[in-house]
Amino acid sequence: MVEPKDRERWRPTRTKLVASGIVIAGFWLTSLSWWFLLLVALGTFGPGVLREIGWLNDKDEFQRRADHRAGYHAFLTAGLMAFVLVAFFRSGERTIKDTQELATFFLVLLWFTWLLSALLAYWGVQKAAARFLYIFGSVVLVFTIISNLGPEWTGWAALLLHPLLAAPFFALAWLSSRWPRVTGILLLAAFIFFFQFLGFNLEQVDDGVTFILFLGPLLASGVALLLAGKKSEDPEDAEEVLMTGK
Amino acid sequence: MKSQHDIRTLVRRHRLIADMTQQELADRVGVTRQTILSIEKGKYTPSVALALCLAEVFDVSVETLFQLKKGENDG
Repeated sequence: MVEPKDRERWRPTRTKLVASGIVIAGFWLTSLSWWFLLLVALGTFGPGVLREIGWLNDKDEFQRRADHRAGYHAFLTAGLMAFVLVAFFRSGERTIKDTQELATFFLVLLWFTWLLSALLAYWGVQKAAARFLYIFGSVVLVFTIISNLGPEWTGWAALLLHPLLAAPFFALAWLSSRWPRVTGILLLAAFIFFFQFLGFNLEQVDDGVTFILFLGPLLASGVALLLAGKKSEDPEDAEEVLMTGK
Repeated sequence: MKSQHDIRTLVRRHRLIADMTQQELADRVGVTRQTILSIEKGKYTPSVALALCLAEVFDVSVETLFQLKKGENDG
C-alpha cells in the first residue's frame, strides 16, 4: 500500500465537468423535444472531436492511447454485432420491429464498449473490475430496497433479505484484487447464468440495451481478469514506501 | 496484448534513487500518476519525447532508463 497522498487523486477536469453538464442538460431537455438529444451528442463526442483536430489538449499520451484503443474496441464490437444482425435478419423472413430501438442499441453498444475499454486500460484490470462490481452491487442494492418499499410492500423479511442479492457482487469486488483468475471465472459463470436467465432474443433488440448495461461489465471484467492473471496492480508499492518513506 | 519489442524499464529504480513519488515525477514531466505507474510496470512504452523528459529529470540517457530485453530481437 502507498500513502493516500501518492494514490491517484481523481479530480474531474474542466472539460469533463462542462461535457457532463451538457450531457445532463441534454437528457433533461429531451422531455421538451428529442432534438435536445443532440446536446448529449455534443457533450459525449465534442471533446473527442476537439482533441482530434488539436484544439483541446487535456490528456497525456497514455490517456490518448487508451482512448484510441477503446475506440478500436468499440469499432470491432459494433461491427461484429452489425454483421450478426444483418445475417440474422436477411437469413429468414424476419423484420426489425423497432428501428428506433435498433439505433439506441448500437449507440449504447458503441459508447459502453468504449467506456469499459478506456477504464480497463486507464485504471488497470483489477482496479477497474473491482469498481465495476462495487457500482453493480450498489445499483442492485438500491434497486432491491426501492422495489420493496412503497405500494409493493411485502414485509420486513423481504426488505431485509432481497438486498442480500447485492452481496455476491461486493464479495467478487473484494476477491478480484486477491484472486483475479478465480474471480474472472466466477464473473463469466455469472454472465452465462444471467444470459440464460434473461433469455436474449435477437428479434427484440431493445432487450439488448439491458443486456449491454447489466451483463457488459460482467463479461468485460471476467475476460479481462482471466487474461490479466495473477499480476497485482501495484506490486511494488509497499517496497516503494519503505524506500522513500513517502 | 504483447508488444512487438519487450522493453525493460528502469524508471522506478531511478525514481526511488531520486527519492521521488510517482506523483512528483508525474508533475515534473506533465503526465498523470497513472501514466508513470503504467510505464514502471512495463505496461506502457512512452513516446520518445516523454522518454527524453524522464531521462532529463534523472539526468541520465534514455538508454539507461529503457532497454530492449535480451534475446527478444536477436533473430
